[in-house]
Amino acid sequence: MDTAIKKDKQCHFCVNNIKEVDYKDTHTLRKFVGSYMKILSKKRTGTCSKHQRKLATAIKRSRIIALLPFVNQ
Amino acid sequence: MAKTKKTDTPHYEMLHIISNKFSEDEVKPIVEKINALITGNEGVVTYSENWGKKKLAYPIKGFTYGYYNYVEFDLAGANLAKVERNIRMMSEILRHQIIRREVRTIDMPAKIERPEVKTEKEKPAEKKVEEKPAKKSAKDKTDLKDLDEKLDKILETNDLL
Repeated sequence: MDTAIKKDKQCHFCVNNIKEVDYKDTHTLRKFVGSYMKILSKKRTGTCSKHQRKLATAIKRSRIIALLPFVNQ
Repeated sequence: MAKTKKTDTPHYEMLHIISNKFSEDEVKPIVEKINALITGNEGVVTYSENWGKKKLAYPIKGFTYGYYNYVEFDLAGANLAKVERNIRMMSEILRHQIIRREVRTIDMPAKIERPEVKTEKEKPAEKKVEEKPAKKSAKDKTDLKDLDEKLDKILETNDLL
């Protein structure tokens, strides 16, 4: 059971060797946002702490420039 | 990567939204105006990209669409405040965001944004192409040859016209 869960969760940015999270790349950012456009926890997405911090700022930046919504409807 | 402390002028990127009340031809002078503002304050525009008209994720000042424009530039820190103040006062710009970033390296520029738009355009085209040859392959090869000859004839006639 434990192994199955561990296999599932890998940091998307570490695996693809992405150092900086780009706020303009909404396609990938949407993977880390729930249906209400809230930032998902790293527990759920498997992102590592280092990238979760960068991801959070990237999502907030893209919200400011209206690439991502703050809330859905 | 070298620390940014050593480099003289910092590198920035700016994404701004121009109001939808302008037509596409009217947007160009506004973009040039912004670029002139940067160069006028001893800045250097290294890269710029026009994203075109896009739907905003939420309405800003009553507009649901806007023209996105992306600029990268080198600018002294002292002049940045001046430039930003001027940009803020431009009523044509709905919103802007200036972020400090690393200078583009050689392997980076190919990685340009807007993958969504490209995939949307490519996918239907690919599907159509895939479907048609499948139907054609069912027919005889001779038919294809005849078609080619006919096409050539048509093309020739077009040239004459």
